[in-house]
Amino acid sequence: MAAPSPAAVADAIENSPMSKMLPLRRRLMAASCALLGTAVLHAEDSQDQKTNQSILGQLLEGVSVDSALAYYHEDGRVQAVEPVVDVNKEFSNGQSVNLNATFDVLSGASPNGALTSRQPQTFASPSGTSLTGAKHTYSVGAGEYPVDRNYSDVRGAVGADWQVPLARLTRMDLGAKISGEDDFISATLNASIAHDFNEKNTTLSFGVSNEFDRLSPVGGTPVAGSDYSLFEKTGNKTKDGVEALLGVTQVMTRNWIAELNFSADRFKGYLNDPYKIASVLDAAGNTTGYVYESRPDQRSRKSIFLENRAAWNQFSAAVSLRYMQDNWQIRSDTVELRPRWTLSDRNQYIEPTVRWYKQTAADFYTPWLSNSSQVPEIQSSDERLGAFHAVTFGIKYAHKVGEQQDTRGSELSVRVEYYQQTFRQPEAPASLQGLDLLPPLKAILVQVGWRF
Amino acid sequence: MSATAPEKIVMEPRGVNLTALRFIAMASPCELLVETSDHGAALALGRLVATEAWRIEHKYSRYRNDSLLSWIHHNRDRRLELDQETVSLLDFAKACHEVSGGLFDITSGILRRVWTFDGSDRLPAAAAVKELLPFIGFYKLKWKAPRLLLPFGMELDFGGIGKEYAVDRAFDLLSAQCSKPFLINLGGDLRTNRAPPQAPWRVGIERPDNVGEASLILDLERGALATSGDSRRYLIKDGVRYGHILNPKTGWPVPGAPRSVTVAASSCTEAGQLATLALLHGAGARQFLEAQQVRYWLLE
Amino acid sequence: MRHLFLKFAFLLGLGAFAAGCSSLGVKPWQRDVLAQEAMQPNGNPLDRAIDDHLYFSKEASSGGRSFAGGGCGCN
Repeated sequence: MAAPSPAAVADAIENSPMSKMLPLRRRLMAASCALLGTAVLHAEDSQDQKTNQSILGQLLEGVSVDSALAYYHEDGRVQAVEPVVDVNKEFSNGQSVNLNATFDVLSGASPNGALTSRQPQTFASPSGTSLTGAKHTYSVGAGEYPVDRNYSDVRGAVGADWQVPLARLTRMDLGAKISGEDDFISATLNASIAHDFNEKNTTLSFGVSNEFDRLSPVGGTPVAGSDYSLFEKTGNKTKDGVEALLGVTQVMTRNWIAELNFSADRFKGYLNDPYKIASVLDAAGNTTGYVYESRPDQRSRKSIFLENRAAWNQFSAAVSLRYMQDNWQIRSDTVELRPRWTLSDRNQYIEPTVRWYKQTAADFYTPWLSNSSQVPEIQSSDERLGAFHAVTFGIKYAHKVGEQQDTRGSELSVRVEYYQQTFRQPEAPASLQGLDLLPPLKAILVQVGWRF
Repeated sequence: MSATAPEKIVMEPRGVNLTALRFIAMASPCELLVETSDHGAALALGRLVATEAWRIEHKYSRYRNDSLLSWIHHNRDRRLELDQETVSLLDFAKACHEVSGGLFDITSGILRRVWTFDGSDRLPAAAAVKELLPFIGFYKLKWKAPRLLLPFGMELDFGGIGKEYAVDRAFDLLSAQCSKPFLINLGGDLRTNRAPPQAPWRVGIERPDNVGEASLILDLERGALATSGDSRRYLIKDGVRYGHILNPKTGWPVPGAPRSVTVAASSCTEAGQLATLALLHGAGARQFLEAQQVRYWLLE
Repeated sequence: MRHLFLKFAFLLGLGAFAAGCSSLGVKPWQRDVLAQEAMQPNGNPLDRAIDDHLYFSKEASSGGRSFAGGGCGCN
């Protein structure tokens, strides 16, 4: 085909007046002009913004922040204020880093493990060395549940997590956390690896975690099982634990995904709560003395966790089951249901929660000890090791604002939860009949959150 | 998914007063030719063109997680507010959709899942193609500038207009800065402000079968050229050739389409659309182009 | 009785995994619903962290979804 003369090409473009063109050509030309005319200014603006990005701008790219402030209040007991902040940065090479910090300020009344008595009781505060004198002691009236009203603690924790892709379908996660409070320091390291199969429909993950804790109780560590009135104290104690977690996640259908996790952990060392005591009662039910608790120096736990998440249009739900058992003979079942309704403008949702929890008592748990037999080597009256069931009712409302293609927008949320523990009441000795020996725990949690 | 090509510009002197700046963008070899011997200035102009091409490529890339297109695809069934440039592109796509009677459709990209044009004879099953049809159709988008709602299952594909648009955008940017004769060529779609005084730009259009051997030489004085063709993307079964231009209403290639169409117009966007529309007319491509009274070159 | 029920539920879950790990699933372009926040393993990490801390300090069980370690002296 002969090349047309240079003039020909130029002519062809210039000498086709709009009037001679068919409607299609005219329309197309008009559409092209509209595209190229209006797009000019704004494309230039965005280009300038990109090239003028400062160091700070580059640092903040791919960063998202999640923060929350929670207020927790137990009826007649502990209350806490807990601010939390979590910063996540995604890098263009697929890696991501997460830094988080938590602060806990607790105060109020904490149960000390002793049993309600028909007589008033006096206890020493943790730093106290005698049961007499107003300083460093506290009293509890007749028929009152024994709690230390001067409980207070401040805790700070920081954690870091680094996720890095190892291969197209494999990624690794490394994490570290440090937590410190008045009488307790904890350091944790964890590592896990995850791999995708079946066109990313199946994910297998395996992780291990190692925790090291150091306790320095106020007033010294009581000798386990010793007589409370002797104030036999020793120095700092430690405990450490290892955990392994194996998980499978499977996409079931376009609307349903399931997750199954197996985990096992083993802790050894000083596992007591240094501030908990057990009441020693005589046959009639009068308190004759107290001893410090004494738990085993080893604990192994195993658990299975199954969660199903499903979503259709504006409704989604997550249902999870967990079964745990340990070598202290505690068994627990947890069922949690979390449906979510996204409102019609898709920027708001309401998410109620219902959770039901039940645990059996540790084999060495006893609400009190009898003075007619020797104090067992292993015993504890800590109600958290006892048999109880708990329910949680919660509701969350979240609202997303300001989302556009360049800005993620932010989400404000508010969450309220009611938590109640109901204990299995023990068979009370004669003199204690009619007393609420293990009163229920009632607590409320209110949280506001802000993500951006 | 294609590996990302390195973003670098190579400078090549071509003759005494001509500099070429070469780079890769939109998975194609690209080039800026400027009539100048000032290599420093030429490199700066090359960077201007390449940066604009990469900007548009990244913004509308299907493969990048941080592209605007990925953001749209991650937020289906939500009313999204789009920027001015994307609004203009969507309005343009809508106009093309209407002007072509529905043959040009930027929601037809999902057909690539069942069609692989690798020169073999593996055609997809009719059922597989039919399964995708409910998710194709520009009119199914809830588009009211500047808000878009992309229904579940649908995808947007700016591949059919992106390259030509980038040529025109780069042209506008360069024209504001350079009065010397230049030619922008992004993978075969090109535009020039004017030809060098001694001779017009000599452009070769690649012949579909003999890749690398230009069979059509054009002398370009001014304006834009866009080429649509199947040089490497087709299927052949029982002697019938299936080009890669698919009819969005049936999900099958348009029969009888020419192997390659080159169109000249004042803007690359316009030229590219005319070339694409011609191919969509299949056997009626030549008739269509004649009726548009546009300068074209057809290769059967 | 309750444990029997839960054991059955787990077996059901395990059965689903065993039976269908390779035949279950969706194509890459059908992952739109799965990308929603409510479908993520930990879409609201702060809510879960605050809840987990509460349950860790009041109950004898912890973890399941992730590592059980408390890292605090509240239990």
